[in-house]
Amino acid sequence: MKRVWVSLVIALSATMFMMWQNGAFAEKAKDAAPAAAKAEQKAETVSASTMPTISIDKTSLSNGGTIAVNGTAPAGKPVYLEVWSDDKVRVSRFDADVDKTTGKRPYILYMTEQMPAYYKIFMPKDKKETLDGIKKEGKNWSVSKTLKDLGADIAYSAPAKAKVDRYQATLMGSIIGSRGDLLPQMDEKENRQRSMQLIKVRFRSPDKVLGADVEVDPAGTYRAVINIREGLAPGKYSIVAVVDKGVQSQPVSFENKIVFPVMYLSNAGTSLNIVWPFILCLGISIFGVLMGAGGGFILNPILVSLWPLPHTVVAGTVMPTVLFSQASGIYNYSKIKFISWKLGTAIGLAMLVGGFIGPKLTELITLDQFKFVFGWILLILASLMFWQTTPGYISKNKKEQAILKEFKKKAEETTKAKEK
Amino acid sequence: MIVEFWGHEFKVNIILGCLGGFLIAIVSSMFGFGGGPFMTPLLAVGLGLPMYLVVGSSLLAIFFNTLMGTMRHYQFGNFDLTFFLIMFPAAILGGFIAPQIAKRVSPLVVKRVAVAGLVILSLNLLGLY
Repeated sequence: MKRVWVSLVIALSATMFMMWQNGAFAEKAKDAAPAAAKAEQKAETVSASTMPTISIDKTSLSNGGTIAVNGTAPAGKPVYLEVWSDDKVRVSRFDADVDKTTGKRPYILYMTEQMPAYYKIFMPKDKKETLDGIKKEGKNWSVSKTLKDLGADIAYSAPAKAKVDRYQATLMGSIIGSRGDLLPQMDEKENRQRSMQLIKVRFRSPDKVLGADVEVDPAGTYRAVINIREGLAPGKYSIVAVVDKGVQSQPVSFENKIVFPVMYLSNAGTSLNIVWPFILCLGISIFGVLMGAGGGFILNPILVSLWPLPHTVVAGTVMPTVLFSQASGIYNYSKIKFISWKLGTAIGLAMLVGGFIGPKLTELITLDQFKFVFGWILLILASLMFWQTTPGYISKNKKEQAILKEFKKKAEETTKAKEK
Repeated sequence: MIVEFWGHEFKVNIILGCLGGFLIAIVSSMFGFGGGPFMTPLLAVGLGLPMYLVVGSSLLAIFFNTLMGTMRHYQFGNFDLTFFLIMFPAAILGGFIAPQIAKRVSPLVVKRVAVAGLVILSLNLLGLY
């Protein structure tokens, strides 16, 4: 409703502006009855003085590249360029920090399916120092404070429209694997605030979402060469120039294209050259089998460190890859009756329950916590491995291995004899 | 619980086994790895079972965890098909290549390299280097 009024007001003022500028043209405009059409026409005419304009030098990119943006803006005003992709990804954040006003932990899971896979605000070059200061602060930066300090909050609009759901998590709920009760929809202002926190979860560091690249000429023009990095979502991107709240240009769009072997991981929101993860996975799985393990515990931390992949997607995707090798291993052992079904199933049922709970917990932790705990897991594993290379263990293990071989041989022979 | 395996009977402390398995399953499904390198020591050292009983049975137990973990991750939307299709062939191929190499390298050397690699990686993850 508010928007209709705003457009009506704009349309009216535009009409008056046109009347003042050119009587004949204004009459024609008045005749054009639909208000919306009038508003559009007006935006073009008025732009010279109040509304900024925008134009870009190309409409398609191949896995990133640079785009020259220029246009006009009201003299003396800073110009912000808001860039976002049409492609959306899911982001979630678990809020368990102590609330400063109530002193309680809220335990609320915020989640949206509509976070743009790419989002960045480019601001005037004179903000560079402030931005560099924020980058130096490191991990504890806050999106809302940063945007306010840089004056960029007027340009923040695309992710604010993402509908953020919140779930009240409970201990019991987490155990049985439910996200908790869906709380009522937040109002626009709070939704905007929460979407900023999700921006940080998604993009991690300030230089991913903010850049000081716009050269503003006091006479009323601006230009910028914006760099769209590699590894982003393919599809349509939009740019809009903003000078003040609600004072912005029409959006212009360009297309980002990717070609094989670069592929887009739609769930992770990242494009990457598939050759590298393939080689990495191959190398680690060979090494993993040699040391008598799957290799997932080495692969996962490397994947989250090398590429901007969410830890939830990495954990959820690496796990199924070992499923089939495990199944074939079980099949091979079962052929020679080398599995104790009773023992395996008994402990397996306990693990089934654990496996039910674990994946829920992945989305409750942040990437940094993921890395931290993984660091300790690997240290424990390293000490286990080290212990297996000590002389005492080796001599014991040699006997064990000899017995193992003997039993395996016996088992194979029995199976063969039966088949005959 | 008493388990009979190839003519021998073993007394198994099933409560300890299940509790350990349960905890390993939570951590491994949460972080997305198999859990084999933890499960084998649990059964072999924690429960004092011989290797020939442990190898096959621990694999079976882990399979339960991986299967459930996979389903749950899929349910929570953590599964990316493209990513899976990149890694899956690599993992299978690795499973074929590794046994060919295994005959030529000493497992002791592999383990020592692994220890060094794991320590470096964990220090990196903990932000210490």
